[in-house]
Amino acid sequence: MHTIRLLIGWIKQDFVRWLSQRGFTLTLVANQAITPLIGLAVWTSAVPNQNLSAYYIALMVVRLCVVSYEHHTFSGRIYEGELADDLLQPHPVVFRPLSVNLAIRANHLLIGLPLLIGALLFTPARFDVALVVTALPALVLAGVLNFLFTYALSMSAFWTERAHGVVGIGATLTFLLGGEAAPIRFLPEAIQPFGEALPFRAMLGFPAEIAAGTLSQSQIIAGYGWQVMWVCAFAFIVLQVWRAGLRRFAAIGG
Amino acid sequence: MQDRTVSVDHLSMTYRAPVREPGLGAAMRSFVRREFREVRAVRDVSFNIKEGELVGFIGPNGAGKTTTLKMLSGVLYPTAGHARVLGFTPHKRDAHYLRQIAMIRGSRPLAVSGELTVLDALRFQQLIYDVKERDFKRNLDELTGMLDLSPLLNRQVRALSLGEKMRCGLAWSLIYRPRMLFLDEPTLGLDVSAIGLMRCFIADYNRETRATILLTSHYMADVEQLCKRVLLINHGELVFDGALSKLTSRVSSAKILKVSLTEANLAPSWTDYGEVVSQDEDGVSLSVNREHLPAVTSRLLAQLPVADITIAEPPLESVIDRVYREGA
Repeated sequence: MHTIRLLIGWIKQDFVRWLSQRGFTLTLVANQAITPLIGLAVWTSAVPNQNLSAYYIALMVVRLCVVSYEHHTFSGRIYEGELADDLLQPHPVVFRPLSVNLAIRANHLLIGLPLLIGALLFTPARFDVALVVTALPALVLAGVLNFLFTYALSMSAFWTERAHGVVGIGATLTFLLGGEAAPIRFLPEAIQPFGEALPFRAMLGFPAEIAAGTLSQSQIIAGYGWQVMWVCAFAFIVLQVWRAGLRRFAAIGG
Repeated sequence: MQDRTVSVDHLSMTYRAPVREPGLGAAMRSFVRREFREVRAVRDVSFNIKEGELVGFIGPNGAGKTTTLKMLSGVLYPTAGHARVLGFTPHKRDAHYLRQIAMIRGSRPLAVSGELTVLDALRFQQLIYDVKERDFKRNLDELTGMLDLSPLLNRQVRALSLGEKMRCGLAWSLIYRPRMLFLDEPTLGLDVSAIGLMRCFIADYNRETRATILLTSHYMADVEQLCKRVLLINHGELVFDGALSKLTSRVSSAKILKVSLTEANLAPSWTDYGEVVSQDEDGVSLSVNREHLPAVTSRLLAQLPVADITIAEPPLESVIDRVYREGA
């Protein structure tokens, strides 16, 4: 109970802090929204009558809900030695990056809402409420997986001064194989099974595909299976990387 | 022994730092093959501290003081050796252990977001450390009285001066009444009044709560006024553990004899009595070997019209400076 109250306390504090930076958050939201909007414009022109406007608007929502900046919010604390402050506190260190992550996502949704409404009004996208509800657990799992993935990569800061580059590689792979550069079903047939199995689609395109109605029931169940498997795998990876990184953490001196 | 709050046994910290020579060629070579050097920040340090002791931990810059404090507070994982603090192994970072310690750094006394008010920050500490409301109010009242916090509670952290941040930082770190304090240069950058307040507070807190305190400082006056015992570390090794007076007498074979005469126009040959340290119209300071001090004092009083004579230890700063340069 205390743990939950503490996490809620951290999230509230970080939400208020990020709310005071709305100008900066606006630029971040614009950055997150631009690629789905470009995808929307390109693919609806290239392949009309495929309900791609619904897919890319759903993808924009997913991006705002799963965004993770741990290479800025967490790696920096390792480089500056500020992680020492977190290590002195009697709760898991992950609370801090997690609370910052959730606060940033809430701010992204708040500030991105007018953009979403505009996109819905000015495109022919239509959604089935039942499918949107079916997509919600996938959205939550995508958010968890994106956090674990980015958090694990940001912990490369224990070993290298180029954690931003490491996370950048992850972001590029997610863009290419997560259903943003192109929906998974438009990848070459030989690559599609890999695209469906890899974690990138589970982090990004899968919830959008459900909401846009482009998947059959068996594909939805299989997709959920992949998401749960990747969440478990990355939770294990995060724990191992954290233990190894902490032994290496060298905030030597004052 | 059961009354040992801190037990350190052959503790060491070694880390690898990348090195390369200057120039473009060396930079290109390091891209392919990186070279490292081992830095032994702390070497084989052992000591024990009993409950309620207030111990000074001194040494030159880069000696390993803060690194040792960080190993004892669980921030760093030692590369060798063992430490037990309050019955816990620090690097395991047990939540019960972390609730009983505080590390206060003069360089960063209040690690909270600047938008919060001081009271907000204290309330959040209450949440983190799960302090009951009754205990929080009692502790807050005591700390507000000791540190004069009333005018600061509703101010935002970003609007505080360094001295105010230090006072609030103390309250923030002590609101949950830790039993073990690691104070890393708590008077850094403070003015004279703030330093005095800080020293009184540390002494009072130690006396009233029996908290065990390990204090590092570059201001020898902090150590002189607060600590009966010092640990001296140099190049990562513990070179002295004992009373400050013993360190002074071990390192410095002389005492300072200050003499003023009733007749100011007299010009005796002061070097017959000792080494002249300083001289002005008020008198002279002589450095005299401890063994010869009684004889020299007797000769001075017999041979010269002495108005005043005092015997003092050499300034601690000069003693410590000699230790840093020549060893203990």
